[in-house]
Amino acid sequence: MTSFRRLSQGGRIDRGRPLNFTFNGGKRQGFAGDTLASALLAANDIVVGRSFKYHRPRGVMGAGLEEPNALFTTGKGGTEEPNAIGPALELRDGLAARSQNAWPSPRFDLMAVNSLASPLFASGFYYKTFIGPFQKSWMFYEPFIRRAAGLGKTSYAADDVRHETRNAFCDVLVVGAGPAGLAAALAAARSGVSVVLAEQDFELGGQLLSGADAALEAWRAETVAALQAAENVRLLPRAVVQGIYDGNHAIISVGGTALESLRARSIIYAAGAVERPLVFENNDRPGVMLASALRSLANRFALVPSQRAVLLTNNDSAYEAAFDLAAHGVAVTVADLRREISGALMSRAAGQGIVVFPESGIAEVIAKPDVRAVKLSGRHAVTIECDVLGMSGGWSPLVHLTAHGGIKPRYDEAIAAFVPGAFASGHFAAGACNGVFGSRAAIASGDAAARAALGHLGRAKLPAAATLPEGEDLAYAITPVWNATQGSKGKAFVDFQNDVTAKDVAQAHDEGYSNIEHLKRYTTLGMGTDQGKTSNINALAIMAGLRGVGIGDVGTTTFRPPFTPLTVGAIAGRSVGHHFRPTRRSPLHDWHQKNGATFIEAGLWKRAWYYDWAGKTPQEAYVKEMELVRHNVGLSDVSTLGKIDVQGRDAGEFLNRVYVNGFAKLPVGKARYGVMLNDDGLVLDDGTTSRISETQYYLTTTTAQAGEVMSWLEFLAQCHWPELDVHLASLTDEWGGMSLAGPKAREALALALPGVDLSNEGLPYMGVKDITFEGVPVRLLRLSFSGELGYEIHCPANYTEALWEHLLKAAAPLGIKPYGLESLASLRIEKGHVAGLELDHRNSLDDLGLGKMASATKPFVGDVLRQREDMMAPERWSLVGLELLEAGKTLRGGSILFAANDEIKGHGRGYITSVTWSVELQRFIALGLYQGGLKHEGEEIICAFPLKNEQVKARIVSPMFIDSKGTRLHA
Amino acid sequence: MLEARSPLGTAAHFDLPGITLREAAGFTLTQLAGEEKALKKACGKLPAFGKADVQEAATSFRIAPSQVWVVGAAPGKLAGLHVTPLSSGRTRIALEGARARALLAACAAVDFALESFAPGQVAMTGFHHTPVLIHCTGEDTFHIYAMRSFAHSVWGWLVDAAQGL
Repeated sequence: MTSFRRLSQGGRIDRGRPLNFTFNGGKRQGFAGDTLASALLAANDIVVGRSFKYHRPRGVMGAGLEEPNALFTTGKGGTEEPNAIGPALELRDGLAARSQNAWPSPRFDLMAVNSLASPLFASGFYYKTFIGPFQKSWMFYEPFIRRAAGLGKTSYAADDVRHETRNAFCDVLVVGAGPAGLAAALAAARSGVSVVLAEQDFELGGQLLSGADAALEAWRAETVAALQAAENVRLLPRAVVQGIYDGNHAIISVGGTALESLRARSIIYAAGAVERPLVFENNDRPGVMLASALRSLANRFALVPSQRAVLLTNNDSAYEAAFDLAAHGVAVTVADLRREISGALMSRAAGQGIVVFPESGIAEVIAKPDVRAVKLSGRHAVTIECDVLGMSGGWSPLVHLTAHGGIKPRYDEAIAAFVPGAFASGHFAAGACNGVFGSRAAIASGDAAARAALGHLGRAKLPAAATLPEGEDLAYAITPVWNATQGSKGKAFVDFQNDVTAKDVAQAHDEGYSNIEHLKRYTTLGMGTDQGKTSNINALAIMAGLRGVGIGDVGTTTFRPPFTPLTVGAIAGRSVGHHFRPTRRSPLHDWHQKNGATFIEAGLWKRAWYYDWAGKTPQEAYVKEMELVRHNVGLSDVSTLGKIDVQGRDAGEFLNRVYVNGFAKLPVGKARYGVMLNDDGLVLDDGTTSRISETQYYLTTTTAQAGEVMSWLEFLAQCHWPELDVHLASLTDEWGGMSLAGPKAREALALALPGVDLSNEGLPYMGVKDITFEGVPVRLLRLSFSGELGYEIHCPANYTEALWEHLLKAAAPLGIKPYGLESLASLRIEKGHVAGLELDHRNSLDDLGLGKMASATKPFVGDVLRQREDMMAPERWSLVGLELLEAGKTLRGGSILFAANDEIKGHGRGYITSVTWSVELQRFIALGLYQGGLKHEGEEIICAFPLKNEQVKARIVSPMFIDSKGTRLHA
Repeated sequence: MLEARSPLGTAAHFDLPGITLREAAGFTLTQLAGEEKALKKACGKLPAFGKADVQEAATSFRIAPSQVWVVGAAPGKLAGLHVTPLSSGRTRIALEGARARALLAACAAVDFALESFAPGQVAMTGFHHTPVLIHCTGEDTFHIYAMRSFAHSVWGWLVDAAQGL
C-alpha cells in the first residue's frame, strides 16, 4: 500500500513554520518549503484526482512542471483557478485545493463508470462516434462533448486577483536556475553586464535542490548568495519564461500575477530536463512515480516511502534515487531493463543493500487502487510488495523555448533525446537543456555559455573558466528500451493527462495517422496543460517502431508558447474593467457631466447623447431637442470631428488629388463639402474643408474616420507624392468645436460676439471667418449639418468650455439650449445628409447620390477603380429616402427592403441605414440603400425586420425630406 | 480673456512613496514643419532625434524628419516654415520620484534605465494604446506629453500602474 513517512530531520522544509491548508475541504498541515504535492503525500493523500477520459484514480507522478496527473483547482469565486500543478505549487497558509475530474471524491468517483466503456474511447472516438446518423450530427453532439471535455472548470466570478504587466531590458537572460543557469548567471554577473535569472521554482538550484551531494549544495548556496548580493543581477524566482519571440523578446509570468515583457541582448537557455515515464500496464496507478520525483521527495521534502520501493529503469540516473532512498532506510529493488549495467553501479548498489534485477521489466502492477506490489517480467519473474514503483525512461531536455522561433529540435542517439537543433544569433544553451547531464558538467557548460554570450555582447575581456565543485558526476548511460507492450489485462499509458495508451498509438498508426502531427490530433496525445512534457518521446518511440524508422525521422510536434498554462487574467493584465480600452473625452465633457447629459460611446469617444432638460429617455429627449433646432436655436458639441491642418505650397494640389471635387481654386475664406475615395474607388469619408490662406486649409472629417483619414493622408503625402510641399497636423485634440443651429442662430451668435459682421455679406453660407474673441482665436464656419441656418464655432480646446458657456449665457434670452448626438444625427437624416452609417466603405459615389461631385477635369484617388463594371452597374443599391405609411408603427434601422410583390425571404433589395422620427413631417422617416435607388421614387415597398417578425409599408422618396431648395441654409 | 481649462484640471495630483504625478499645464507648444534647412535656420540647430534641445526660452523636440515641436517661445524668424499651434492639444504630465522609472517601465516597452534614458533624452512611444512623448528632464523627473482627449485615460492608466508597483 502506498504510504510515505516524513523524516525527522533533513530536507529543505522548515519544520518550525507549519502551514495549514485544506484539500477537498479537509484540514491538512504542511511546512514552509513544501509544495502542495509533497504536503499531500506527507498526509498520505495518495489518490488526488481522476483521469480525464476514463476517470481512473491518479496520484502524484512527477516532481515539477511536467506533472500530468496531480492538477488542482485552488481558491474560490474571484480567486478560483483550475489546473494548478501540485508538485510546482508552493504551499502557503490558507491554501484551499480541490481535486479535479472527481465526484464526489477522488477515491470514489461516479464517473469511473467511463472505465467500463473504455473500448468505446479508443483513438478517434469522437470523430467516429458522432459523425452520424445525420449530416449535421456533429453540430448536435458538439455542445455535449464540450461540456464533458476540458480539464478543470473556472469560475464565472470576476477576477479578484490584480495582474500586472511590465517591460524590462537586460544584457543576459538566463532561463533556469539549476547548476547550468546559476553558473551562467554568475559568470555573466561577474563581468558586469545586467543579468536576469528566471526560475520557475520558488527556490534557486533546480536539480541540486533534490540531490544529496554536500559539495554541490555548498556551491549552490555560495553561488545564490553571490547572485543575491550582485547589484547587476535581478533574480526572478517563481517565474516561468512562457515564450521566446523575435528580437530576443521573452514573455515571463512572474508569481502568477505579473507578466513581464523582457528584451534581452542575449539569452542562455538552462531550462533543464524532465524525466520520462516508462510504458507498461497500469503504469498510471497511484504510487507509480518518476524515480526523480521519489528522489526529490526524499532529499528536498524529507519524505520517503514507508518501507519498500521498486525502481524500474532503462538508464543510470534511477540509481541516484535508489541510493538516496536506501540511505534513508527504504528497502529498494531495481528492475533494470538493460542487459549491461556498469560495475560501479552494481557494486555500490550491493554495498547499500539494493537488489538489482537486470533485464527485468514489469509484468503487472498490483494496485487497489494504489500500488501494493509489482510482478517483474523477464529473467526474474518475482512479485515484490512495495509502497511505490519509481520509473525512469531517461531524460528529455526542455528544448521548448529554443524551438519557439521555429527551429526544430534534433534527435541525439547518444542520450536518446531531442536537443536544440540550432540557435538564433545571441542565443546559447547549457546543461541538461542542451543534453549535458550531470551537475558538474552542467556548471561547466553554463559557465562556457556565459562566456559565449559575453563574446556576443562584445565584451573583450572574458572571465576565466569557473572552478568546479569537488567530486564526480554519476555517468549517464541509457539503452533505449521502450518496452511499450500492452496486453489485455490493463492499460499502458503513454500520455497520462489525456488517457492515451500504447494501444491507441498503434491503432492510430493502423488507421493511417502515423505522422506525428496527425497522431496528436487523432488521439489528443501531447495536448492538455502539460503539452506532452512526459509523453512525447515515448509516443515518438512507439510510432518510430511501428513505422520502422528512427525517432529522429518521426520528428516532434511544434512547440508553441506558453510553456505552462497561463491564466487569461495574466494575459489581460491591467486592461480590464475601466481600463479595457482608453476612452476619449471632448473638452466639453465636464460641462456635459455637470449639466444633465447622458453619455453614449461613439468609437472611443464619450459623447453627450441627450440632455435631461429635454426628457428622461432618449426617445423623448431627441424629439424635443430636434424641435429646439427646427424652431429656435440649439448648441451641440462637435469637438470629436476630425480636424487636420493642411499646409504647404502644394496644399491645394494635394487636396485636389485626395478629394473627388476640386479644392485648388477654392477662394480664401470659403468652405466646401468634399468627398474622398479609397484607392478601390469606394467612398472613404466626407467633410468640409476651408481655405484659411493661399497655403493653408482646415480639413474636417467625420468622427468615425478621423484617424483613418489622417493616416491615409500622411501615407499619400509621404509615400506617393513626396514631391509635394504639404505638411499635415492633426488638430482634432487642439480645436474644440460647437454647432450652433436653428432659425435664431445668427441672432444668438450676434449676442455672443457683438461687433462681428454676421450678415450674408459678412459671413455668407459656406463662408469662413477667423476672429479673435477675448484674446482667443476663434474660427467661424457657416455650415449646416442639420439643414437649418447654422454655424460651427471652433477654438483652441483650452478655451472651448469657456466659449461654450459664454454662448449659452449670451443667447439665453432666446431660449438656447444644448442638444446631443441623437438629435444631431436625426436632424441630418431629415436633411438627407449621409454619415457614418451610409459611409461604410461599401458604397460608391453614385450609390450615395454624390456622383455629380466627381470632377471630370482632374485625376483623384479612386477615380479609375470607381469605374469598374460592377461599380457602374445600374441596379446597385443606392441611397433613397423612406416614409413610413402605417400610422402607429415604426421603422427600424437594419430592416430589409422588399418590393411590394416580393416574397419576404433572403437579403431583399436593400436595407435601412438610418431612422428617425421627423418633427417636420410628423412620421418616421429613414435613409436606406435600395436596388436601383431613386428610379423607384414613389413606389410603395415593404420594410421587414425578421428579428421582431415585423413588416411595415413605406414609400420611396427623395432623401432630402426638408427644405430641398436650401432656403434655410441661406437665410 | 476667456478662462483656460487644462485637459486634466489643475487638481490633478497623485502621490505615492517614490512617485508624484501632476499636470504641468500652462505651456505653449508649437509645431514647426518644413524642410530641414528652414528648420535649422529657425531653430539655430536641429534637435537630434531622441534628444531634447533645451534652451533658455524653449525646449525643442524633433518629432519627424520635417517636424519640430517647440515648448516655450517659438523662434521669431519662421521663413519657409509652417506653424501649427498645439498648446491645447496635449496634456503635460510631470512625473517624478525614485520609482518614476519603474512606473514608466510598467507602461511602455522602452528601456528607461538611467544609462539608456538619461536627462535630456526623449522617447516617442505609446501608453495604453495612445501616443505619448516622454522627456527625461532630470535623473528622476519626466514630462509626459499625451493627447488631450486621452488625458484622463492616460492619467488613470499611470495611477493604476503606480498602485501596482
